[in-house]
Amino acid sequence: MSSDTDTVPTPAPPTRRRRVDLGTFGLVGPPVVWLVVFFVVPVIIAGAFSVGILAFFQDEAAFSLDGWIDFLDGSAYLHLFWKSARMSLIVSVIAVLLAYPVAYFMALCAPKRKYVLLLMIIAPFFVSYFLRLLAMKVILGDQGVINSLAYWLGLRDPDDPIPALIYSQPAVIITLVFVYVPLVALPIFVVLENLDRRLLEAATDLGASRLTAFRAVTLPLSLPGVLAGFIFVFVPTLGEYFTPLLVGGTGGFMFGNSIADLYGPSLDWQTGSVLSIFLLAVIALLMVLFGLAGRFLAFRSAPTG
Amino acid sequence: MDTAISARGKWFLRAFFAFFVFFLYAPLLLLVMFSFNDADVPSFPLSGFTTDAYEQFASNEVLKASVLTSIKVSSIASFAAVGLGLLAAIALVRRQFLAKGAVVALLLSPLVIPYIVFAIALLILFSQIDRLPGIAFPLSIWTLVIGHVVILLPAVILILVPRLERIDVRLEEAAHDLGAGWVRTFRSITLPLIWPALLSAFLIAFVFSFDEIVLASFVAGDATTFPLYLFSQLRFPTLLPQVIAVAVIVFAVSMIVIVLTEIGRRVVERRLQIELDPAKYPAGAE
Repeated sequence: MSSDTDTVPTPAPPTRRRRVDLGTFGLVGPPVVWLVVFFVVPVIIAGAFSVGILAFFQDEAAFSLDGWIDFLDGSAYLHLFWKSARMSLIVSVIAVLLAYPVAYFMALCAPKRKYVLLLMIIAPFFVSYFLRLLAMKVILGDQGVINSLAYWLGLRDPDDPIPALIYSQPAVIITLVFVYVPLVALPIFVVLENLDRRLLEAATDLGASRLTAFRAVTLPLSLPGVLAGFIFVFVPTLGEYFTPLLVGGTGGFMFGNSIADLYGPSLDWQTGSVLSIFLLAVIALLMVLFGLAGRFLAFRSAPTG
Repeated sequence: MDTAISARGKWFLRAFFAFFVFFLYAPLLLLVMFSFNDADVPSFPLSGFTTDAYEQFASNEVLKASVLTSIKVSSIASFAAVGLGLLAAIALVRRQFLAKGAVVALLLSPLVIPYIVFAIALLILFSQIDRLPGIAFPLSIWTLVIGHVVILLPAVILILVPRLERIDVRLEEAAHDLGAGWVRTFRSITLPLIWPALLSAFLIAFVFSFDEIVLASFVAGDATTFPLYLFSQLRFPTLLPQVIAVAVIVFAVSMIVIVLTEIGRRVVERRLQIELDPAKYPAGAE
C-alpha cells in the first residue's frame, strides 16, 4: 500500500509519509466514535426532549416549542440563569484578580523555584474538587470552624452564628473562588513566563517607570492568559451544581441545581432539557466570542514590522 | 536593576503569594487538624488528640467498600481514557486528515460542558437504551465508567500531545525504513519514549476520576463511590470526624501521587532526551 517512500530526507511536515499501519481512521476512529455515541448523541437526545419529540411518557411525545417559549418568556428559570451568570462573573473576576499577582510573582520574581511553586499552586486543583468543598463546609458551617472559634473567643453568642457565612450567595462565591483559583494562575503564569523581558528593559531604557512599563507592556501582553484563566472559571461555574448544594442554601441556589431538580424530583424532563440545551448554547456562543477575542489579543500583541 | 519589580513590590508580592498559599491550604490543614481532634463535631475549642477516627475507618466496611468501588471505576476509566487518548494524540500529531479542526474541537469539547448537563444527558441516553425492547441497560459502575472516559479523554489528549510532539518523527521513520512494522516501531521506539507521559496521564486521570461526584450521583445507579459515600455521611454529624479522616488520607495520597508523578516524569524525560540527542538537549534544559 505505502510504496511512496520518499528518499529525500528533508525536514517536512509528518504528512509526507503514508505508512502501512493502523491507518488514520483506526487511530481517530475509536475516540471519535466514543465521543459521538456517549457525548454528542446524549446531547442530541436532550435536544429532542426539549422540543417534545421525545418525552418521559412516550405516548405524550409531540413536537412543540412550548418549553422554549415558556422558558424564554421571562420565566423564573431565566431569572435564575442571570443570577447564576452574575455569580460566575463575580467569581471569575475575583479569581483573576487573586491569581494575577501570584502568577506574576512566580513567573517574574522567583526564577529558581518557579516550577516548584507552580506545582504547589496547581496540585490542589487536580487532587480534590469534592474534598475541598467538604473542607469549606466544615469551616463555614453554623457549628463550623469559624463560628465555633468566634463563640469560643466570646466574639459571638452560640445562638447567633455569623449571618450568611454559610447557605448564602457569598458563601457560594467564596467557595467557588477557593476551588477554581489555582486553575486561573496557570495560563497567566504561562504567558508571563514567555514574556520577552527585553521589552521591559527597552521600556525602562526609554524612561518608563516600572508602573508605566507594566501598563504599556506586561499587562497588554498577558491579556490572552487572563482571558484563558477567566474562561477556565467562568464556563464551568455557569453550570455549577455541588457547591450551591453544599454551601448555597436557598439563597445560593444556581441554574445547575434547577436542572438537576427538574430531572429528579420534578420529573419535568422537557423543561430540564430546555435549560440544559440553553446552557450549552450560551457556552458555545461564549467559546466563539472568547475565541475571537483571543485571536484579536494575539494579533494585537504580535510583533509588527 | 530588575525591570519587572521593585524591591518593595517584590516584598509585597511575596507576602501576597504567602497569603494565597495560606488561603489554598489552610482549609485542608484544618481538616487534618480536626481529624485528630477528640470530639464529634469539628469545632473549637480543640478537645484533645486522638486517632479514633482513623481506627474507626479501618473497621467501617461500607466505607471501605466505597473506596474499592472508586478504585475500580477510576482504574478502568483511566485505562480506557489513556488508550483512546493515545490513539487520538498519535493521529493529531502524526497525521493530516480531513476535518482535523472539527475532530480536535470534538475531542476537546467535553472540557467545556457543565458536568450537570452531561450527567443528565447521559442519564437520558441510558434510560432511552434501557427502554428499547429486549435490552437491559441498568445504571451501574459501567455506565459511570463510560461517562468518566468522556470527561477524562480531553485531559489525557492535552497531556500526551505535547510529549508526542517532542519525539523526533525521524526516529519512527528510521525504524520503519529498517523494516519494522507499526507494532514493532511503536513498541521499540514510541512506547519507551512516551511511557512517562502515559503514566502521568493515567495517574492524573485516576485522581480526577476518584474525586468526581456529579456524574457519579446521576449515572452510577446503586453503586456508591467514595465521594458519594462522603456526601451521604454529611447528614450524620457524628460520623464527620471519620469522614474527614478518610478524606485527609485520600487527599494526602493523591497529592503525593501527583507530585511524585510530575517530578518523576521530568527526570525520566530529561534522561531520555539527553540519551537521544545530547546536543539538542543540553543538561539542565527542560
